Amino acid sequence: MRVCRGERERVKNLWYLFAAYSVIWTALFMYAARLSRKHKELEEELRLLQAQVAKALAK
Amino acid sequence: MYSVALVSAVFVVLLILSYPSRFVQSVSVYGCMLLSLFMVFVYSPTEKVQGIVQKIFYFHVSIALTMFIAFFVVFIASIMYLWKKSDWWDQIAFSSAEIGTLFCTLVLLTGPIWARPIWGTWWTWDPTLTLTLILWLIYVAYLMLRADAYDVKRARLAAIVGIVGFLDVPLIRWSVEKWRTLHPKPVVIQEGGTTGLTPDMLLTFLVCLGTFILLYFYLLRQRVSLAQSQYLLDTLRREIDEGLPG
Repeated sequence: MRVCRGERERVKNLWYLFAAYSVIWTALFMYAARLSRKHKELEEELRLLQAQVAKALAK
Repeated sequence: MYSVALVSAVFVVLLILSYPSRFVQSVSVYGCMLLSLFMVFVYSPTEKVQGIVQKIFYFHVSIALTMFIAFFVVFIASIMYLWKKSDWWDQIAFSSAEIGTLFCTLVLLTGPIWARPIWGTWWTWDPTLTLTLILWLIYVAYLMLRADAYDVKRARLAAIVGIVGFLDVPLIRWSVEKWRTLHPKPVVIQEGGTTGLTPDMLLTFLVCLGTFILLYFYLLRQRVSLAQSQYLLDTLRREIDEGLPG
């Protein structure tokens, strides 16, 4: 691959570059957010179970 | 010089992943992502023929290579699961398959975005592209098999799909190297061990590759931890349902 330095770089197809990087970042953030949400859901479920066990033991 | 950089990068990745604090790991991953963006958009030069759109190469190829690592982990973990029958291997295989499929989706999305201005078309039924699409379909099927609650039969069937599906990976690699297609031949390491990249482009690529490998192992660790918690919770719930009346 040849490199052009010193001369004016041709900046074309900027939209495609923006689209590609937007897709990557959006998907990665959505996946990270999904993992975080699932983690919270599991914690909530665990709290419910603990309450259920405590209630049963109190009887 | 680059072998020293590569060994150092591997060492840094292992150091970060072995650090117990999740916060430190997250900050390191985000830091590496920002460094990669800096390298791509500020440090690396613009390629003369393709122009600025060539910068898609750094993330597209890094994600593709990391995807191969993810599916290789599925392959090994699936074999180990069928052999040892340990749930831990199943959780690793499932988690890696999910992340590998995410990366495969990104490869299939960024590829056409790059192809449109260079080839003049979004998609062509080129062997490399078709085999990658088949790989994606195989692992989507794997994830669909595992969509419901844990079931030993489904887990074993999924493990077989995970093993057989991986056979597509060497085919893709072979199609890139040997098949005369629209998809470009390997640029980073060409035949004869030379590289088609300038030193600053190669360094940028190595930083991006290291970042995505780090991101993969970081996500894998989070996903396996989640799968283990889910498994324990399901077991606990079952035991409570059986043990507690009402």
